[in-house]
Amino acid sequence: MTEAAKSSFPTRALLLAALAWILPSFGHFLLGKRLRALGFALVMLTAFGLGLRLEGNLYRPVAGQPLSYLATLGAMGVGAPYFIARYGAGYRGTPEAQGFEYGTVFLLSAGLMNLLLVLDVWDIANGREEKA
Amino acid sequence: MSHLLLMAVYAALIGVFFSLLWRRGRREQTRLFGQIFLGMMIGAILLGWLMYFFPTGPAAPIP
Repeated sequence: MTEAAKSSFPTRALLLAALAWILPSFGHFLLGKRLRALGFALVMLTAFGLGLRLEGNLYRPVAGQPLSYLATLGAMGVGAPYFIARYGAGYRGTPEAQGFEYGTVFLLSAGLMNLLLVLDVWDIANGREEKA
Repeated sequence: MSHLLLMAVYAALIGVFFSLLWRRGRREQTRLFGQIFLGMMIGAILLGWLMYFFPTGPAAPIP
């Protein structure tokens, strides 16, 4: 790798994006967007918490069901909360629960929203932002 | 928990999220929030109402 390529490698943006993925809205917090970070954190935690409360499906890969892989990637988008719930608490969801479908939507949406935040952090860290 | 309430909570969360993500300035954010929230609520109620015209099928299998 040349010196020029080394200096243009976006280490800081990658690190921020990784942190933004692991801890929802933490990337915006580190970038100084404190109020927005707080709003995002509230939305994300409410969606994820409500999804768990409603006993929705926290997607995991199922052999022979290709869409489950895609859904798992989406649900994993929420970062640490996914792994804590799945591996730390052994959460699976309850298909018989009344709120199962709604809970699944809340859990999946939390993951997808956080993935959008990761992209936003990437853009801000690379100087592409604040047009609106 | 009421399904209508859950739908409203979901629409509100999505509205807040995208208005914070896509708009700067309180006025623009409020406007986009209103558009998303009302669009989702009215759209869902309208779609639900239209589904009365379709016959009900067997219950969905539990995954």
